[in-house]
Amino acid sequence: MNERLLSEFVGICGAEGVLHEPLELLTYECDGLPHLRTAPALVVLPSSASQVQAVVRLCNRAGMPFVARGHGTGLSGGALPVAGGVVIALSRLNRVLDVDIPNRRVTVEPGVTNLEITRRVAPYGYYYAPDPSSQQVCSIGGNVAENSGGAHCLKYGFTVHHVLALDTVLPDGELVHLGSPMVDAPGPDLVALLVGSEGTLGIATKIVVRIVRKPESVQTLLAAFDSIDAAGAAVSAIIAEGIIPAAVEMMDALAIKAAEAAVHPGFPAVEAILIVELDGPAAEVRALFQVAEETCRRHGASGIEIAADDEQRARIWKGRKAAFAAMGRVSPNYYVQDGVVPRTRLPEVLGRIRQLEARSGLRIGNVFHAGDGNLHPLICYDESIPGQADRAAEVAAEILSYCVEAGGSITGEHGVGADKAESMSKMFTPEDLDVMQRVRAAFDPRKLCNPGKIFPTPRLCGEVPGPYRQHPVEQQGLAERF
Amino acid sequence: MQIEALSRYGVVRDALAMDAIDGVRPRAIIEPESAEALAELLALCSRERMSIVLRGSGTKLGWGRRPAAIDLVVSTRRLNHVLAHAHDDLTATVEAGATVGDLNRVLAEHHQWLPLDTAFEAATVGGTIATNESGPLRHRHGTPRDLLIGIRFATADGLLVKAGGNVVKNVAGYDLGKLMSGSFGSLAAIVSATFKLTPLPSASTTLVGAFGNSQAIAQAVSAISASQLEPAAFDVGAHVSVASDPGASVVTGLSRTEYQLLIQFATTAAAVDAQIAETRRLLPADHVDVLRGVAETDAWRDHARRLWTAPGAVVKVSWLPAALEAVLALVERIRGDKGTSIELVGRAGVGAGLIRIEGDTATQVKAIEDLRAKPDVIGHVVVLRADRGVKEKADVWGPAGDTAALLCGVKAALDPAGILNAARGPV
Repeated sequence: MNERLLSEFVGICGAEGVLHEPLELLTYECDGLPHLRTAPALVVLPSSASQVQAVVRLCNRAGMPFVARGHGTGLSGGALPVAGGVVIALSRLNRVLDVDIPNRRVTVEPGVTNLEITRRVAPYGYYYAPDPSSQQVCSIGGNVAENSGGAHCLKYGFTVHHVLALDTVLPDGELVHLGSPMVDAPGPDLVALLVGSEGTLGIATKIVVRIVRKPESVQTLLAAFDSIDAAGAAVSAIIAEGIIPAAVEMMDALAIKAAEAAVHPGFPAVEAILIVELDGPAAEVRALFQVAEETCRRHGASGIEIAADDEQRARIWKGRKAAFAAMGRVSPNYYVQDGVVPRTRLPEVLGRIRQLEARSGLRIGNVFHAGDGNLHPLICYDESIPGQADRAAEVAAEILSYCVEAGGSITGEHGVGADKAESMSKMFTPEDLDVMQRVRAAFDPRKLCNPGKIFPTPRLCGEVPGPYRQHPVEQQGLAERF
Repeated sequence: MQIEALSRYGVVRDALAMDAIDGVRPRAIIEPESAEALAELLALCSRERMSIVLRGSGTKLGWGRRPAAIDLVVSTRRLNHVLAHAHDDLTATVEAGATVGDLNRVLAEHHQWLPLDTAFEAATVGGTIATNESGPLRHRHGTPRDLLIGIRFATADGLLVKAGGNVVKNVAGYDLGKLMSGSFGSLAAIVSATFKLTPLPSASTTLVGAFGNSQAIAQAVSAISASQLEPAAFDVGAHVSVASDPGASVVTGLSRTEYQLLIQFATTAAAVDAQIAETRRLLPADHVDVLRGVAETDAWRDHARRLWTAPGAVVKVSWLPAALEAVLALVERIRGDKGTSIELVGRAGVGAGLIRIEGDTATQVKAIEDLRAKPDVIGHVVVLRADRGVKEKADVWGPAGDTAALLCGVKAALDPAGILNAARGPV
């Protein structure tokens, strides 16, 4: 990159805010999807919204593509750099600007972690509801980009349901105020369009979120089943009883075995377990929890453990949240998929996955948010055996086809990013994608803002998603996949 | 172009006086019988540069700026089918022209519903999304955009496309359904929508508390907000009434303001009872009623409709929830200054509501300006219902903010010929 341009970036962010040595750039070559890697021309670390604006304006003048990055925990390559482009890392924009308990609003910069918001408001009896399992390390700006969910989104919704306002630097460097701390800003809901747009429409520099009062009561049970189908039937029956649990999670035998080996949560060695959590007013939870428990028994639960206190509840969740990383205990390598099916189609799709498992010769563990039909198949393979990594990637792609054929989605929470851009045409027609692209062009006519993401491009044609490798934050035990 | 030539796209008729919008009579009304026909019609209108206004049941057709000339009103009346109710998946797909009420009658067969309590019985699904209109249940369930999981729409140049999907959890592609929320038919024509549903609650009870002054009701709202109670609806009303006991309340001339708090719990019977008991403990109201069954249903219906059945302008406003007392004081001051008859109904926990203003044109316009003069107390003052005179003098949508250029770009992307909504706004 030419020296004059470099000095202009340094002029904006300071020498300590610009990285351009190959070794410094290494960390930024990928996000939580490490098999897709590209070295950017440089990384800038702005420390204010006006610096972000100036950087984006300079990128425009120089015609350089740019990619915003939070803390790099995304699982779909949404923050994958563009060769010759700029990565705008927002980790220095990490201030909590305002905690307003009476109005139940918190104003933060994008580099604040998800859990930090809850930490700041917990003393007052509040929390921030979306809880992706990387919440200790993932940034709220990244959550906004991906519309992150978590185990409790069945009842509480996603990021989009909890964000009120975004100060956003548009792809041309203009700073606009979308939404406001007061609800009902007139006009089309641009905040909700930005949330989940995977960094392709602008860069949020200030975010106002809503916080939620802690429920009066929480109850959690762990039920053991002799088959996945029986556990699935129990989930449907619970919902049919008119109960919307705070969370319903399912794990199959392989996932249970892995979790046991890794963190010893005391899970029974059965074909499937269900974790059902209800929260709300005490009287409501008491009544409905009994119904949920009876429903599990009626559908053949061979054993039910009820968490007696927060400690036991934490142990159950630890087992569940460790499931992905724990696959390393039973397989040298594994690939994490993220797909969604209508809940009623779970047995059928799981049946197809079992057939695929037999046919492919690769073991597939299943961990999923059963309440909303969000599957996370874990495809085990050994990269030292020639061809297995490719086979795993093919298996992962085939599972996505099953999801779409069942009326579901290619991604429930990890995003499309660079990883699944090609799969978008499984769900959407060329016209659907054309109209989305038109909206994108209204924001970013020059195609400089996170190009190559979401939409299928000729450049990505024929690429298959690669195998899973552990992210550095996982290696350090800071985050698990969910 | 001859109106008869449009008959291949739907059932066409000449517009009547009753079809006029704010006194602007369109040339014709057309009712396409399929989404495809509607899309083809829009493509033709784009080519011919015909000005279009989209209409569901027409319950909110007067909202927005006074229209420029309208060639054609395109009605979704014949697109009124519930396409799917996947009751075990708690989702439903419905055409834009079906009413929310019709949809809910179908969903009730499986003890489910779309929890949108619009004030307008005949409101269609499409119109409800386009205006993002909701009622008191917003407290728990949010607005249409929060319940929408998939959408199918026709761009003004005739592409029939979808966004989102049929599953409650899905982050593939742009969520264009959210962009349609609050667009007032100015971006594209919604033809069908998929929603996540909710089980009907097994029991519900409403507590209505009456307060003599704004400070007392604001304190009650604050106590309930800080508690762990989980109401389904949590509303306030500030209504003008003739004083029978002027000494007990805020006096303005011969009338006084009565402040009302309505709080509904809808869950299991035991949890409803427990929460009602706790609410009573927190509420030092002058008078409390506990309503169930028909009385409860009627109370909410009256509450939702009272602003719409009385005369005057109706404006939409929002505020920060903890600023309720200041909001009520401002409303009271506007009333006190000129003796303007003014009342408010709103969502106490959310900070959103409607204000009705009576009086002559000048009084109404002045009241709207006064509301806008305190943006730190009351924000987003949008004129919904008002007569022509008021709309000519008061800015219907309020200040555009810094997103106007961006929104123009988004409109041009979906409505390149600019045929939709006859300059009524918001885009």
